[in-house]
Amino acid sequence: MTRAEVLADDPIWLILIKVVVLFAFGVVMTLFMIWLERRVVARMQHRPGPNRVGPFGLLQSLADGLKLAFKEDIMPAKADKVVYFIAPVISTIPAFVAFSVMPFGGRVSIFGEQTYLQLVDLPVGVLVVLACSSLGVYGIVLAGWSSGSPYPLLGALRSAAQVISYEIAMGLSIVGVIITAHSLSTGDIVNAQANFELWGLKVNSFFIPLLPSFLIYVTSMVGETNRAPFDLPEAESELVGGFHTEYSSLKFALFFLAEYVNMVTVSAFSTMLFLGGGLFPFVGQDSVLNNGWLQFVWFIAKTFVLLFLFIWLRGTLPRYRYDQFMRLGWKVLVPVNLSWIVALVAVRQLRSAGWPLGPTLFFGAIAVLGLIALSFALPDREVPDDEYVPVTGGGYPIPPLDLEVPTETPKRRRQTRGSRSRRRAAVTAGQSASASQSQEGSNDGNV
Amino acid sequence: MSVLATLVTAAQPVPVPAPPAPAATITQPPISYPAIMPILIILGAACVGVLFEAFLPRHNRIAAQLVLSVLAILVAGWRLLSYADEMPETGTITLGRALAVDKPTLVLWATLLVLTIGALILMADRTVERGGYFVADAAVRPGTVQDRAQAGRGEMQTEVFPLALFALGGMMVFCAANDLLTMFIALEVLSLPLYLMCGLARRRRLLSQEAAVKYFLLGAFASAFFLYGLALLYGYAGSVQLSDIANAAAGTNRSETLLFGGLGLLVVGLLFKGSVGPFHTWTPDVYQGAPTPVTAFMGACTKIAAFGGILRVLSVGFGTTSWEWRGVLWGVAIASMVIGAVLGLTQTDVKRMVAYSSVAHAGFLLIGAIVLKPAGLSATLFYLVTYGFTTLATFGVIGLVRNADGEATHLSQWAGLAKRSPLVAGTMAFLLLALAGIPLTSGFVGKFVVFQAALSDGMAPLVVVAVLASAVAAFFYLRVIVLMYFSQPAEDGPTVTIPNLWTTGVLTVCVLVTLFLGIAPSLVLDWTSSGVFALQ
Amino acid sequence: MYETATILAQPPAPGGPGDLKSYLPLILLFVLAGAFAVFSVVVAPLVGPRRYNKAKLDGYECGIEPSPQPVVGGGRVPVAYYLTAMLFILFDIEMVFLYPFAVTADALGVFGLVEIFLFIATVGFAYAYVWRRGGLDWS
Repeated sequence: MTRAEVLADDPIWLILIKVVVLFAFGVVMTLFMIWLERRVVARMQHRPGPNRVGPFGLLQSLADGLKLAFKEDIMPAKADKVVYFIAPVISTIPAFVAFSVMPFGGRVSIFGEQTYLQLVDLPVGVLVVLACSSLGVYGIVLAGWSSGSPYPLLGALRSAAQVISYEIAMGLSIVGVIITAHSLSTGDIVNAQANFELWGLKVNSFFIPLLPSFLIYVTSMVGETNRAPFDLPEAESELVGGFHTEYSSLKFALFFLAEYVNMVTVSAFSTMLFLGGGLFPFVGQDSVLNNGWLQFVWFIAKTFVLLFLFIWLRGTLPRYRYDQFMRLGWKVLVPVNLSWIVALVAVRQLRSAGWPLGPTLFFGAIAVLGLIALSFALPDREVPDDEYVPVTGGGYPIPPLDLEVPTETPKRRRQTRGSRSRRRAAVTAGQSASASQSQEGSNDGNV
Repeated sequence: MSVLATLVTAAQPVPVPAPPAPAATITQPPISYPAIMPILIILGAACVGVLFEAFLPRHNRIAAQLVLSVLAILVAGWRLLSYADEMPETGTITLGRALAVDKPTLVLWATLLVLTIGALILMADRTVERGGYFVADAAVRPGTVQDRAQAGRGEMQTEVFPLALFALGGMMVFCAANDLLTMFIALEVLSLPLYLMCGLARRRRLLSQEAAVKYFLLGAFASAFFLYGLALLYGYAGSVQLSDIANAAAGTNRSETLLFGGLGLLVVGLLFKGSVGPFHTWTPDVYQGAPTPVTAFMGACTKIAAFGGILRVLSVGFGTTSWEWRGVLWGVAIASMVIGAVLGLTQTDVKRMVAYSSVAHAGFLLIGAIVLKPAGLSATLFYLVTYGFTTLATFGVIGLVRNADGEATHLSQWAGLAKRSPLVAGTMAFLLLALAGIPLTSGFVGKFVVFQAALSDGMAPLVVVAVLASAVAAFFYLRVIVLMYFSQPAEDGPTVTIPNLWTTGVLTVCVLVTLFLGIAPSLVLDWTSSGVFALQ
Repeated sequence: MYETATILAQPPAPGGPGDLKSYLPLILLFVLAGAFAVFSVVVAPLVGPRRYNKAKLDGYECGIEPSPQPVVGGGRVPVAYYLTAMLFILFDIEMVFLYPFAVTADALGVFGLVEIFLFIATVGFAYAYVWRRGGLDWS
């Protein structure tokens, strides 16, 4: 029986147990991750981190969560009540649902019932995860929109633009795996990685042959979950708290929960796609090391490696600027990904047609490098910058040296010359106060 | 999602742990590349045009785009003609039955290609207006300082050329589509570029943008109608293939509601594109607001494509049930002729008047389309050819009559035009006579063959109405002629701009074709009656 | 087309495509997560304290309230975001087409390779156009 058939045979009590355990897993992982993040980041910054509540401060996040429940729940006067109320719910549900297709482990027997450590194995499992990650954005956008306040709105817009931009890169990087595994089912993708050999070694994972896909996935999963260094939607220095600025109490906690569950989801997804799921490397699928429950342990271990990466990135890297971030997504990840997909399909076809792989790869790589070099040779279009401020010597912007002191007051000039002059004024640097204000006004939408 | 899921999983090989397991290979459907080569050339050239837009410096674009698109059309025409000789008598059905390339298709394609060359040359004309008919930067908001600054700039949005090619490609697929899904995609491919092109006029930006938005909203609505009709028909026949629908309709044990509900919605979508009344409401506003060369392109080519589609859907897909729905289309044809003729009388703007004239013509065309016999097919095709050339030339001439504010389209401004510019007035008078259907013009022969075909199929009452309607319509064409020849020219009347040699050539050719088809129609009539739709 | 109809007419294999019963656990998880979230949202105002203060209910802002009001009820959003949304639709649809291709990539053979290359190239033209015209620059 295949994995899907075994799972479809599960009795209802087993399904209920799995559902509850999966849900509890998400909540516990969140609490644990918050603690881990604080401890690890603290260690990276040479300070102890939380260490008072429970052994090693383990219960710190639980205490924080309980405290949040007893904080005042504020409904801002300008908020759109219904949407404000429902947004945290919309954000939370898909985060958990995405768990349902994760193949946490192998075949086990629970109370005498043969089953797999997975809730369902849908033929479209990968799409379920992608759909859930997209649905989560609705929670964020609606939260920002309904708060009736500028910071959350800007945070939500940034978040939406960010998630949809990196969704492309993420979705395209998965294509490489699907080409290799011939399936969209999460269980089948793990099965396809079993016994996957490379240079006579059972690596049991796709990430070495599909290295470009893997790297792009890891990059975009950080962007997709709004985590540092891509945490622009909640950039504290610019946007206070981002989309959840106006939220408090348990509603705020729900957003936190959703964020951390999403982190776990994308890490587990990556484990499933590229790291061989619960399979232990270097041994066959029938080995003792690959029995059902041990697979669960390996799966969690691999997931934690990626989760640690999240924390490590946060402890190490400064935040990206928004335009740099969008440029990375649209101008680097997308084209590289598309070229990689074409190259992958081509190599597979050539190999099945009996071409010698070595020379093919060699010349292919030369061609790709040539193309990349060519693309660098093309000049990027220069956008005329109307708001250019001359920069001299030390790299600091200074006021223009040819500043002309206006002979008339700005108000007078407006009266005499009409509204035309204001438009012109925005072009030059020596400008009236009203012009600089309108310039700021046009800027703040773009920050 | 579930559709995708079915699609994806139905084809997947057995998953079991195994690296590359390409079990069953999927066989490629046979493709007759010579048959579809014209489409491939046009769409390929449109893609190259997009690259031109991306990489060429601005001052080189217009020349490069014009050369590219005209060259592509010429090559496509050459491939078309060389394929016409080797095509089997019954036509070729290719791409997994998605496209049917047969004699009517070739006639429509050839007409579309020739007319598009004319329209492209009109679009590229920059002698009539400084910088051309199109705006320099469409993204600038109308009425702002930047807008006034760009009005004088001698540049234009050269994207119109690839857009026109995409629209042309869509039209060609639309004429040849043998299943409804392909037809829907083609409908979108031909519509979306047109929506965009409507909003690019250099003068009267707001009117132009309003036209674009109206066209887009109503067009999207009509596309939705088409799609719902398609869905119902798929529910009825279990297939979107036109011939499968016809076969399913021949057996009687299925739900008639699905069939006729589907047909009704489908036809609404198609009639909208052909601007047949009472689905014509967008036509006057869009014809008036769009840049004149785009109006010419739309007026001539969209009508041809739409009626090509209507003809094929009705005769291939619903020929077996014609006695059920023909009465409704009788009514639609009458409504269209009456609306076009009567409302055309009340217009004071030349472009709007021609728009209503096109509604009346759509009614005449629909008469030919519901005959469902080889005679009707050939008559409708002939009418489309004549109408296309006449309309193109009419809008070309309208674009020449200008004053300081751009085109002078109000009728009062045309008073006494014959005294200022006898040549243009004479040409316009001739074209209007052709639209009215006066003997010695192609319009007369077109109407004659359509009415003849309708009479032979027992539609005498409809023909009587049509003759009356064309008599009423003749009145408003004659009114313009009277105005041009027998009125005193206004003090600040418009001047006629002398176009460049290319535009002059296009206008001359169109007028000559109109005249030639009026005197010796047999050549083209032989051609249009050389074959019927491929059935499979 | 008839083939699709016959596939749909057969009872779906357990765990296979079209077997809606296999979605049941997923729905249960959905319900559980939803119940938890709704419970939290509802219980928060009941459990928490309530100390009225007008300033607390204002938007988070230092100084005077921004004018015009940014959001609820017809606020405007910078146009750059719309552009990003349009580009997203373009590429997301490309992605949707790549998935079925990816599943059957090996079975489709060289024909599939050529087709997908043409497909990606076609989207690539649009991509190049947008790039060169500054549509991807976030300034």
